[in-house]
Amino acid sequence: MALNLHELQKLLQNHGVLISFSGRFTQEIIEELGDAVKKYMETEAISRNDIYNVFSVFIEQTQNIKNYSAAQIGSADGDKIANSGIIAIGKSEAGYFVSSGNMVTNQDIATLSARLDEIVALDKDALKKLYKEQLRKEMPPGAGAGLGLIDMARRASRTLSYSIVKLDGHMSFFTLVVHV
Amino acid sequence: MENLYIGKTKSTPEINFEPEKAKLKIEGQSYPENAFKFYEPVLTWLDEYLRQLDHEVVLEIYFHMPYINTSSSKCVMMLLEKLEDAYRNGKKVAVRWYYEQENEMALECAEEFKEDLTLPFATCALKEEP
Repeated sequence: MALNLHELQKLLQNHGVLISFSGRFTQEIIEELGDAVKKYMETEAISRNDIYNVFSVFIEQTQNIKNYSAAQIGSADGDKIANSGIIAIGKSEAGYFVSSGNMVTNQDIATLSARLDEIVALDKDALKKLYKEQLRKEMPPGAGAGLGLIDMARRASRTLSYSIVKLDGHMSFFTLVVHV
Repeated sequence: MENLYIGKTKSTPEINFEPEKAKLKIEGQSYPENAFKFYEPVLTWLDEYLRQLDHEVVLEIYFHMPYINTSSSKCVMMLLEKLEDAYRNGKKVAVRWYYEQENEMALECAEEFKEDLTLPFATCALKEEP
C-alpha cells in the first residue's frame, strides 16, 4: 500500500505535533530544526522562558540520539540505530512537549532505565543538586557531559515519561517525552 | 602571547582573547556537535595565559552566551574553575556575565555557575536585544 502522507499528517496533527523529523540526525539538521522551532514559537507570542526550555530540551534530546548513534558506529546495528531517530515537538492542553525516539541495543537498556528511574524519582531541589555535582565532576570520556537528562528533568513541567519496547533479540525502541 | 580568535558560527560562540588588553571575550550561543573538541584549544590557551599572567594585571573576562547546551556548560565550568584557581593564587581576575534582561534562563544559568566561586563575578542585564 502506498504511503498516505495526508493520513500521516492528520495523525501528527491529531496529536498536536507542530514539527517532526524522522531519520539520521546531523548537526546541520539539528541546527536548522532548532531554528524552525524557535521561529515558530516566536510567532506564537510564547514566553521567552518557554521558548528557551523547548529549544533546550530539543537540543539535548537530539544530541543524545546523535551521540548514542556515533558511539555505535561500526557495530553490527550501527546504521540501523543512526537511521532510527525521530523527534516531534507539539502542543498539548498544558503546554508544549518534546518527544524523541530511537533504537537502543538491549544490552544498554538496564543502564538507561536505571539512570532515568534515578532522575524521575528526584524533586527539583534534588535535581539541581545532582546537576551541580555532575557539572563539577571530572569529565567522563565521550562527547556527552552526563547532564542532558538531568537538565531536561529540571526544565520539565511534569515528570519525564519514557518507554522501552523490545523489537527483537538485539534491539529495543526507546521513547522519551518531556512536557515543558 | 598571541591572540586567540575563533569566529562565531550558528552553534559556537565567538572567542576573542586579547592578552595585550587583558580582555577575554566569549560571545554567542553554544551547542556544538562536540563541545569538548571546540573548547579544548580555548582551555589550553587559557592555561598557558594564566600561567604567565602578571600578578598586577587586571584580567577581565566577558561572557555573553544567550544559550548553552549541557556539554558546553561543562566546558564553561572548566574554564571558570581555571579562572578561580588563578584568582585563589593571587591573580586579579574578574568575570562579567551579560544577559538580555528578558532572558531569565540565561541569568539563572549564570547564577548557577557563580555559586561556589569566590572570584568577582558580576551579572549585567542588557536592555535591548543586540
